[in-house]
Amino acid sequence: MTSTAAETAVAIRVPTAGETSRKRPYIPVFGTLAVVTALELAITTPGYFPALEHTFRIVLLVVLSTIKASLVVAYYMHLRYEPRWLALIPLAGLALVAVLVAALIATVAHP
Amino acid sequence: MAHPGPVGDEGEEHHGSPWPVIIAVGMGIGYVGIVSASIPILLAGVAVFAGGAGGWVHDDLQRPSSAFYGLAAAVESKFPRVSGRKLALWLFLVTEIMFFSAIIGASWTLRLRTTTPGATFQGPWATPGEILNVPLTGLNTFILICSSLTMVEALAAIERGDQRKVRYFLLATLLLGITFLSIQAYEYQKLYFGEGLTFTHAPLGTGVNPLYGATFFAQTGVHGSHVTAGVLALAYTTRKAFKGGFTKENHEAVELVGLYWHFVDVVWIFLFTIVYLI
Repeated sequence: MTSTAAETAVAIRVPTAGETSRKRPYIPVFGTLAVVTALELAITTPGYFPALEHTFRIVLLVVLSTIKASLVVAYYMHLRYEPRWLALIPLAGLALVAVLVAALIATVAHP
Repeated sequence: MAHPGPVGDEGEEHHGSPWPVIIAVGMGIGYVGIVSASIPILLAGVAVFAGGAGGWVHDDLQRPSSAFYGLAAAVESKFPRVSGRKLALWLFLVTEIMFFSAIIGASWTLRLRTTTPGATFQGPWATPGEILNVPLTGLNTFILICSSLTMVEALAAIERGDQRKVRYFLLATLLLGITFLSIQAYEYQKLYFGEGLTFTHAPLGTGVNPLYGATFFAQTGVHGSHVTAGVLALAYTTRKAFKGGFTKENHEAVELVGLYWHFVDVVWIFLFTIVYLI
């Protein structure tokens, strides 16, 4: 029992040799986050990108922030390196958010 | 309280701790204080909560590098390759997703409905940069992104067993978190006292909807309170790291604090766009 527990613990706590030697792209992700943030600021700054239509600008900003958030979750929160089933937990949260958004849209559309 | 629960190596007992129960009781008392609008009861709850948290931290700091965490996590986990604590934290983060979704959703509902004819509170929402200092908050966003990098580097360092780097990366994360809060406090001070943006009024002469300030402070305020909680957790984790409390084999607290900190960063990524840029 004790040795089994210890072995299980080691399997959980200590990354395998392959994992520790794998270079995780923390710096490139950071660079992407910084560049996308600068792009977001540029898109919003008056005079920059004047040809962007208002609705398209909003959609673009939402897409950019979603890309940034996905990078943080995948690489910094290690979801990419976890067992796939763990992703079901945040996805369940997003499903609940979708229900909330649908309800709010209905509220706004039919007050 | 001690009981022969999940066993560590060399037969170490799993010691039950009263502190989580005391913290929960404190929160319950505080909640009663809020519901009954009683400051003394609220303060009593805060005091019990603080006492429980302090006791927990004190106990934990006496137990550096204990096998308790890793082994207990392994034995308790019924799920492949994920400890019970990490799973619990992810579930907690789902509740946080719902919490922030509710705050943001309520703000957007107000925003959309108050711009329709016949609404009780008339007036448009402020355009980006009209009231808020977007460049300053852009800098703050960059600071939070930097703190996410230092946090994940701290975890990578202790995974390699690098005691020196885990300390300095955790300390850097802590300082960046404090910087973020300081800039937010400066922003609040300028907006509230300088510009006149309050919970019920927009700055004079702008014609902006009076609810704008309420939604701004609600969204950024609850996020700021989460950053504050993260800074406190980081302060504890950093202190424990400087005491040599984490090892290559045993550092789950660093990973869990990191998960929370990155989540706070993710929330800010959306809030920055929603509140400041749109």
